[in-house]
Amino acid sequence: MLETGIPKIDEFLGGGIPDGKSLVYYIQPGVEGEVFGLQTVYTSLKSAKTVVYVASSTCPDNIKGQFAQFGWDIDIFKDRFFLVDAYNSLIRAPSKEKYVVSNPENIEDLSKIIIDAMKELPPSTIVFGSLSTILDLCGEKETIEAIRNWNKYAILHDHTMIYNFTVWPYSQETLDSIKKELFNAVIAVGGIADRVIFGQYYWILRSDWIKESRKSMLKSDWTKESRKSMLFRVSRPGGITLFIPKILITGAFFAGKSTFLHALSTQSVSVDRIGTTIAIERCHVEYKGFSADLFGTSGQERFTPIIKLLSGESMGVFLILDSSNPQDFIHAKEILQITKSYGLPYIVIANKQDLQEALTPEEIRKHLGLGKDIPVIPAVAKDKIGIFEAFEILIDKITGGI
Amino acid sequence: MNDYTFGIKVLDNAVDGLTKGKNIMLIGPSMSGKEIILYNMMYYGATTNENGIIMVTTREPATHILDWFKEHNLNLPMSRIGIIDCITKTLGSNDVENDNIKITNSPVDLTGIGVKISQFLDEFYMKKNIRKNQLHINSLSTLLMYSNIQTVFRFLHVFTGRIKGAGALGIFVLESGMHDDKDINTLKQLFDGIIEIKSENDRNFIRVIGLSQKPTPWFHYEIEGSNIKMGE
Repeated sequence: MLETGIPKIDEFLGGGIPDGKSLVYYIQPGVEGEVFGLQTVYTSLKSAKTVVYVASSTCPDNIKGQFAQFGWDIDIFKDRFFLVDAYNSLIRAPSKEKYVVSNPENIEDLSKIIIDAMKELPPSTIVFGSLSTILDLCGEKETIEAIRNWNKYAILHDHTMIYNFTVWPYSQETLDSIKKELFNAVIAVGGIADRVIFGQYYWILRSDWIKESRKSMLKSDWTKESRKSMLFRVSRPGGITLFIPKILITGAFFAGKSTFLHALSTQSVSVDRIGTTIAIERCHVEYKGFSADLFGTSGQERFTPIIKLLSGESMGVFLILDSSNPQDFIHAKEILQITKSYGLPYIVIANKQDLQEALTPEEIRKHLGLGKDIPVIPAVAKDKIGIFEAFEILIDKITGGI
Repeated sequence: MNDYTFGIKVLDNAVDGLTKGKNIMLIGPSMSGKEIILYNMMYYGATTNENGIIMVTTREPATHILDWFKEHNLNLPMSRIGIIDCITKTLGSNDVENDNIKITNSPVDLTGIGVKISQFLDEFYMKKNIRKNQLHINSLSTLLMYSNIQTVFRFLHVFTGRIKGAGALGIFVLESGMHDDKDINTLKQLFDGIIEIKSENDRNFIRVIGLSQKPTPWFHYEIEGSNIKMGE
């Protein structure tokens, strides 16, 4: 089984990509999708696998430079990392690589080198940096036939095949083959576009090895046309992190919202803070392959309209309670009602658990009349206890169901 | 006021300005000053019209282009300038990216070029709130040296569409006399208009086709330093 190393994808694929299977990243033009293949290469190398990277749109040195940009040192894996140079011959430049395609515009030449590598090397991860360039240089029909052949060899020799494919306007027949037939799994990588592309996301379009229950869930998502997508950002260094644009942190007066926000934060901005938050605080969190922007609201009741406004645009909510102050639970209940009315996933943080008079999470659950499906997480925000667990649980609730 | 202008008065008057979302081919022979004309459009667009300028260069490194402006004492407003350099890496240079320069792998890497164009458009349109942007590609001829006509057509099909969608202006340079007429005609389908240049008896002429009811007359011009001097 090969892990892609891309947050959430391996989980959705039931742990990763089984040996002998093929996966294509189906990338909308203009979206930064080639990093998916690169991140899979690096993850594969780190897990002691042999990797072959087919470089068809640039020279091998540039590919190595791309890894360096992401902070991924591949030199330490040089005994297990092979580049198929399908570029330098195009510009009549010499190559230092073991596998060199003499005429990258001829699919037979390219195919021969790839199959030689597949026969010679132990079960490997084989990544095509740009399948589109191969289609462009060698022809659509010819390349599709070659892919069939490579994927067959992969089954015979237990290689795992990964393809980066940019969805230029090829013939419908070609696009249908790539999307529906040639590969065991298809992950679409797209852009949120209005006049320009201002956000990037991926979703799993198809996978033929995940458990039936999971598959039916995915299928039902597509048939209802309610594709749930993961937003992502590409960081240098770092690679792909999943991005949650807005999480709301709210709760009653002096419940410890700012302390919670600052404890989670990698960067934060306080607005009009004089002892307590008067308007809004904002922070950014990077944690375990996720990044999120968090917005903290004032706990004073007169700022309830701000909570309503932010709730309408948020993807999830932390409701912070002072576990030692049940009188404020009434206001907390009102905030919960606002949150519920927007159908947002939320969790309750039972803060200040270090105080003697603090109620337990179960007691708080009873006070608020919460069902078992709503997590109530014990925490001491000032000591950073329970906060990252809470972050993970909320992220799971936001990203769940895909 | 027009959304976009060429910055060459007689041409702007002749076509009565340019509306949003136009894609224009700039075609002419070598040594006819196409690049100076393009740089003038870039400068005029960024300074007078306060547009964002995205330049894809396949012929000269980005640093050389910026040097040209400096040498001619033309101060570009750098917050509005983005250059996508497709040549530096193929020359083995170690130039690095900065706020104004993004470097792609090679002219073959149309996917990478497309990503960088999208990034600059996003940055100008969403982050800097620059609503009028110009995309200049210099030149399609180099892209056609590395990729076949269908590949370049597919790339342009996507990005001329994005230009329309974003209400931007696209200027795409092509060398005349280097390509089959059939290829040029294939590409022409994607454009709303053509700026055509010809050289006769050591004199250069320019006209615009497709952006007014009939083609403009041929205007004689000369390049003097960084200036385009229009003749009679």
